[in-house]
Amino acid sequence: MVTHPVLVIGAGVAGLTAAVELADSGVQTVLIERNSTVGGNALDLYKAFPTDDCFYCFEGNRWRPGIRKCFYRSALLDQPNLTLKINTTLKEVTGEPGKFKVVLSIGPRYVDPVKCIMCGICMEHSKAFSLISPQCQPQAVVYNPDKADEGVARAVEECPTKAIDIEAQPSEETINVSDIIVATGYHEMQPVNVDEYGYGRIPNVITQLELARMLDPNGITGGVLTRPSDGERVKSVLMIQCVGSRDEKYYPYCSKICCIFALKHANIIALERENVSVNIVYMDIRTYDRYERYYREAREAGVNFIRGRVQRVKPSENGGIEAIVYDSLLNRYLKFDTDLFVLSSALEAPKGSEEIIKALGLRESNGFVAPADLETEENVVVGDHVYACGTALGPAEVPESVTQARAVVSKILQSRM
Amino acid sequence: MAETKDKIDPPVTLVEPIDMSRLDSSFRKEIQSMPDGNELNACFACSTCTAACPIANQWTYKPHQLIRMILLGMREEVLSSKEIWECLTCFQCQERCPQNVRVTDILFDCKNLAAEEGKVPDSIKGLAKELIEKGQLYVITADWEREDLDLEPEVPGMSTDEFREILKATRTGKIVGGE
Repeated sequence: MVTHPVLVIGAGVAGLTAAVELADSGVQTVLIERNSTVGGNALDLYKAFPTDDCFYCFEGNRWRPGIRKCFYRSALLDQPNLTLKINTTLKEVTGEPGKFKVVLSIGPRYVDPVKCIMCGICMEHSKAFSLISPQCQPQAVVYNPDKADEGVARAVEECPTKAIDIEAQPSEETINVSDIIVATGYHEMQPVNVDEYGYGRIPNVITQLELARMLDPNGITGGVLTRPSDGERVKSVLMIQCVGSRDEKYYPYCSKICCIFALKHANIIALERENVSVNIVYMDIRTYDRYERYYREAREAGVNFIRGRVQRVKPSENGGIEAIVYDSLLNRYLKFDTDLFVLSSALEAPKGSEEIIKALGLRESNGFVAPADLETEENVVVGDHVYACGTALGPAEVPESVTQARAVVSKILQSRM
Repeated sequence: MAETKDKIDPPVTLVEPIDMSRLDSSFRKEIQSMPDGNELNACFACSTCTAACPIANQWTYKPHQLIRMILLGMREEVLSSKEIWECLTCFQCQERCPQNVRVTDILFDCKNLAAEEGKVPDSIKGLAKELIEKGQLYVITADWEREDLDLEPEVPGMSTDEFREILKATRTGKIVGGE
């Protein structure tokens, strides 16, 4: 009878699903997360396809009590088999498959999430304290020592529950685990090197994830589309697909979900925001899986699709952006005056995944984790007692990540029978 | 929004682009509001219509390009094009369209709009004139075919007078300069 816990690396959609379902099945589970909150990239999404709902609310999770938006929270708080460790990374793995000895580096716990009541007093006194998201889990403010100012001492003093300890130190912990699940997710490429798009040089050039944050009613602009340069209302948006994807200079693969999330954003803008026109420049629209309806809806909503590429982008006199686009269907060049230029940037392996792949001796493909045996259909098996799910295996949609996480859970439960 | 150190702009080129702000973005809605235009937006530019067209090889603007031009708002260029008048109305494009865009019917809509604005090619005006004057485009004559079929040289009871009167009052009459 195996009694060692299972280690899950990464608390995004895939990692959370795997951890919660293992714990629910009676398996001790340790879930580690590099950041200060769970949720991963999905935390920044206003709506996730294909349900246009909060990312975790898919059929199968709905039995859990709690408000509909945050089923996973109650599991993280109440499930005794699940231990969540935030600000934690994998330092070292020794031992043998089935009996791994894992060293975790745990970041300093400046704010005790059990004591924090998120009253916000500390945030009033110092910029070093912030709330990452109203949906964050653990539900606690985060302290950033790099931003420490004179207000910190007062914040510590006035904290009604004495939850703050700015002297906290990082620590290490060694645990024995039977299986390891890699759910390290993806990172959206920062396309600073793609000269023609001016990202990083022109303020109104943003990426799709930055747009998602802007569309989020809980975000900085309260869901209003404004130009980052001057805060003016956005009247037109130009999107460009395949930035860094299907490009031998960056990533040769198709990032698989950019078309759908661009269409999702285009539909939100065209249907939920008043008088904003949307143009999408593409080479191919690929609505992977069953999502052709997003494309159809976008066309019906009046979104303009231009097959071609962008010739040049420069700031315009009225504070927006002037973009010249080559329309390959018409064999003509079109000049757009737009407020936001949104890049559908490639999804790449996140920082640190190289080290994890090396530490666990896994196969690699374009920076992502590759299945141990490419001949089988068991994509989630990446090593002996080592599994991967979600975008750690390459770009994937939310339902796919959830399905893979469940496949991993099923594999582990079968191995323990 | 990330910051990087300044880079040099891409080189200036000699491209003269179409200024989107000068196009008529309401043109799409105008066509869409016409009886057969409701599926216009569904076009995803697969160019099946152009593949099906028996005449597009002679055209500057192919059928899928005309649809793109309508969607972009290139009203002037579409309504002044010779292509909309040269359409053979074989309906192959419309039959094959995977998104049910009524391509041929949309070209009819364009012809109607162009005619409203007086943008009718001389060859078409000639046909209209013929209709108004003779009531028919092909005048039936006593030829050998009728003879071979044992038909009388004249079509009995054939009169186009009433038809001519009706045509005069329609837009056909308007094309040739009537009211």
